[in-house]
Amino acid sequence: MTTRMIGEPIPRREDPRLVTGQGRYLDDLGAGALQVAFVRSPHAHARIVDIDVTDALDVDGLVAIYTYEDLAAADEAGSSHLSEPLPLLIPHPDLTHPRTAYPLARDEVNHVGEPVVMVVATDRYVAEDVCDRIRVNYEVLPAVVGLDAAIEATHLVHPDIPGNIGAHMVQERGDARAAIAAAPHRLELDLEIERSASMPMEGRGVYARWDADDRTLRVYTSTQAATSVRAAIAAKLAVPIDRVEVIAPDVGGGFGVKVVHPWPEEVLIPWAAMRLGREVKWTEDRREHFISSAHERGQKQKVRVGFDDDGRLLGMEFQVWHDHGAYTPYGLIVPIITTTQVLGPYKPGAYRGEFWSLYTNTVIVTPYRGAGRPQGCFAMERTMDAIADYLGLDRTVVRERNFIQPEEMPYDHGLVFQDGRGLVYDSGNYPALLDKLKALVGWDSFAEYAEQARAEGRRVGIGLACYVEGTGVGPYEGAHVRVETTGEVVVATGLTTQGQGHQTMLAQIVADELGVPVERVTVTTGDTRRFKYAVGTFASRTAVMSGNAAALAARKVRAKALRIASEALEVDPSDLEIVDGVVRVRGVPSSPGAKTEIPLSTVAVLSNPLRYAFDAEAARATQFAVGGSSEEPPVAEDDEPGLEAVDYYSPPRSTFAAGMHAAIVETDPETAEIKVLRYCVVHDCGNLINPRIVEGQIHGGVAQGVGGALYERMVYDSAGQLLNASFMDFLMPYASEVPTVETDHLQTPSPLNPLGVKGAGEAGVIPAAAVFASAISDAEGFAITRMPISPSELFELRERFAAGEIPPLRSRSGHISGEGRFVRAKEDSR
Amino acid sequence: MEFLAPTTWQDALAAKAEYPDAVPVAGGTDVMVGINSGRLRPSALLDLGRVTDLTDWGLDGGYLRLGAAVPYRRIIEELKDKAPGLGMAARTVGSPQIRNRGTIGGNLGTGSPAGDCHPPLLVCDAVIELASVRGVRRIPVTEFFLGPKRTAVAPDELIAAVLVPPADGPQQFAKVGTRNAMVIAVCSFALALTPERGWVRAAIGSAGPVPTRAYTAEQFLTEALQQDGFASRSGRGDVALPESVVRRFGELVAAAASPIDDVRGTAAYRRHALSVLAQRTLRWAWESYRGRGDRCT
Repeated sequence: MTTRMIGEPIPRREDPRLVTGQGRYLDDLGAGALQVAFVRSPHAHARIVDIDVTDALDVDGLVAIYTYEDLAAADEAGSSHLSEPLPLLIPHPDLTHPRTAYPLARDEVNHVGEPVVMVVATDRYVAEDVCDRIRVNYEVLPAVVGLDAAIEATHLVHPDIPGNIGAHMVQERGDARAAIAAAPHRLELDLEIERSASMPMEGRGVYARWDADDRTLRVYTSTQAATSVRAAIAAKLAVPIDRVEVIAPDVGGGFGVKVVHPWPEEVLIPWAAMRLGREVKWTEDRREHFISSAHERGQKQKVRVGFDDDGRLLGMEFQVWHDHGAYTPYGLIVPIITTTQVLGPYKPGAYRGEFWSLYTNTVIVTPYRGAGRPQGCFAMERTMDAIADYLGLDRTVVRERNFIQPEEMPYDHGLVFQDGRGLVYDSGNYPALLDKLKALVGWDSFAEYAEQARAEGRRVGIGLACYVEGTGVGPYEGAHVRVETTGEVVVATGLTTQGQGHQTMLAQIVADELGVPVERVTVTTGDTRRFKYAVGTFASRTAVMSGNAAALAARKVRAKALRIASEALEVDPSDLEIVDGVVRVRGVPSSPGAKTEIPLSTVAVLSNPLRYAFDAEAARATQFAVGGSSEEPPVAEDDEPGLEAVDYYSPPRSTFAAGMHAAIVETDPETAEIKVLRYCVVHDCGNLINPRIVEGQIHGGVAQGVGGALYERMVYDSAGQLLNASFMDFLMPYASEVPTVETDHLQTPSPLNPLGVKGAGEAGVIPAAAVFASAISDAEGFAITRMPISPSELFELRERFAAGEIPPLRSRSGHISGEGRFVRAKEDSR
Repeated sequence: MEFLAPTTWQDALAAKAEYPDAVPVAGGTDVMVGINSGRLRPSALLDLGRVTDLTDWGLDGGYLRLGAAVPYRRIIEELKDKAPGLGMAARTVGSPQIRNRGTIGGNLGTGSPAGDCHPPLLVCDAVIELASVRGVRRIPVTEFFLGPKRTAVAPDELIAAVLVPPADGPQQFAKVGTRNAMVIAVCSFALALTPERGWVRAAIGSAGPVPTRAYTAEQFLTEALQQDGFASRSGRGDVALPESVVRRFGELVAAAASPIDDVRGTAAYRRHALSVLAQRTLRWAWESYRGRGDRCT
């Protein structure tokens, strides 16, 4: 009996290769290629007056220097479109003032790091030396840095975009303002989250080769969206799309930044390769990644809520000022997600979400793991804590009272989600999740522990946060499954992999559907030669989208295998099963060679009628071996040769996973250093395909969440220089900072897809900032409203708290009432 | 960019004389970061990696003499008993890989106010040996740091060695960083205690334009120890330092700093954290001194 693979925590089959250094990342390819370096803008906002390359021209090894003028000349001479701005990937009617960059800056630069000149040379050292000798004269313009400057709009990023406002969008269900005004209690919170970034270990990179004889272009790029890059390159360079192959080799992390495309470099490098007739490669260095890829997270928020005596949300108004940087290639996805996913597992009586998406002279902002959800979760969970404190209720009680109940599923929020579809939760059981979390972290006994700790002079606090995550957004993914005549099963899907374990997870699904050992299944992702139709890897969608597509394709293959086998064995297909790669009559003991079973490899041979035998196995399918009716065509009219199938999965809308995290922290009373004592996660992503991979995803997400809560920020000075653009000063958590993650699962299947699965890729990161804010607030006795928080900042808050500038919380874990902490929280004065 | 790769110390000095603008590079843990980020574009690099005699250490008169290219890892492994403060500081530098590459001479040469080795060198009265084709000179480490990333090394000179008196009492080093490991200090502090001789050395890092001694705090503590007769009662395991002395010492250390607000922390936090570090290290140093007393009896 084949062990059922779905649900098995088998080790990731990618790991032996990747952890022993056998991975082939972008920079491992194209050893002999010409190399590219860019002159990038040193100014946040400036007009380009003049570019002088005279000094650079005599450098040995220089091959070419390109500026915007060369792109324009090329467009004029041929049919390329490189002198036009890069595409607006996701237009939206409310994005009234979109703006995208030119591949090389035209007249103006709008952030430090924007590419101005491309240099191609025999190696990177030479290319960098050439860059040093190119003189670009700039007329420096005032820079708009930070949300306050963007809102104030004394200066404009783009002179024709008033108020620096790219978009203003409102979504409302019910009359939230009236509901708040009429509520017995009201609170108002001002919150802030700083910029962070995906920061994959491997930066971006592109390697292109043009075959002038074949007129084909092959491009390797470290991307999350190979098929879309292919389409973009074909369009921009005017090459027929069937002459463009795009391959994502091993990709050393993406976390969202590599779903943006085409990056300027993704069209410029292939263009140079075609123009020069040489292989050309560019590998991003870390500083380039900091200043010329993308960031996320930066928002200011205002929450106004009205609630009843029990803490039930009667109305909520959520305003967001979202810093989207210099350009808007990825549209409004992040702020739309923030202002919809803010609702989490709760059901306010009325809701109004509103955002302004604002231009600044800084690096563009596009989705980073969580993609706006961490900010939304932060807003709602800070609000829940504030309500609990205001009413003197336990923080879990307020949450419980606001949960959407399991019997209310599917729950329609009456809003439009990031995929243009309704924000309708498909399934979930939030009360059960909270019960599990409380049990896991020991919520009810924490007060006792805190009191003990306090008696020892230690400060500890507990916090929690809940979230719901729309995952598996459409429009579709597909998969191709083929059984080779060796019995090997090859699977291809078009979306890409950045280390998540997709090969393992997809192999488990196909192995189960087909009835073959998982070891015999090989999976290819992100190679347009193998699968041309795909959307990409983002929004925790691979297991949902490609997973279900692979299951559906495998089911087709299985049906065909049973049909062919039933003819060969002369039994009804419904009497057959496939076990361990052998089709056999159900209930009959295995006996190789008997007329009751046939290996899948033989079925694959028989599926492809042959004229020529190239080996003994193939001989079975040749014309004098197969027999059958000489009146029928060897391939039936509605049939195709080969034991293979393609299928697609396209869901009506997203499926909604959920989770709840709790943390226990200790803050040093003297140095204000913050230590994580425990971190607990309960998680519901529907049916688990591979629990080990899901937990790995959670651990990685929590690690990034710890970074976002305690360490990572982008420190821009007022001139728009990124002051901490290196790993010396942009601190990411190491193993020494990432807590042991204690995990428990709930499995509420999604009714939307055949496998009943929901996405899990982003889960870990979403509530982390909210959890830490909650726990640190509990430890300190005042509300944290701005993340991330460093020891220096916590020290400052303590000083302000001591000076009476910050109101105390009414209740804290382990603090007995009556300590004189009963000061009213700030009430909305309206 | 010229790349100079001498194989002997004499060639290195000759190269430095010929190319005074050349930036010496040993482990490259600072220089290469600067070059990669575009901040540093020297006309020439002078690679000291082939000059093997720079990586030795030994005894020289009353001193431990550390060649400039002795890496942190060897300081930790081989010198932690002889120069405990320096060993503790070296242990907090970067990651194992960086501690394998990075050198004490490189740390000094960069002259960063945040260099981890600087406070322990200040508290043990280390001497820096500079060499050029003109000859060799030795200067006290207190005269080495002139400003942020500015040192007393002349354009034609290279750092040859660091001379460290062996420890004759408890030494401590502590730093506050935003992260637990691999982090540039928000502030750091080193302390050396020799109660038998009644003196105290205290030094501050990452909280001013140069790493600096906290002389007033040193004097206060020295006097407090003498006044209360601690010095004469050396080795008595039962003597605890009064909290008031510890607290005042912390305040004076904080007052000696001249920190700024930057990416890593505010000036106010740095002062506060320094006073905490000073008090903590003083308690630890005193404990270890008392511990030694206990062992003697």
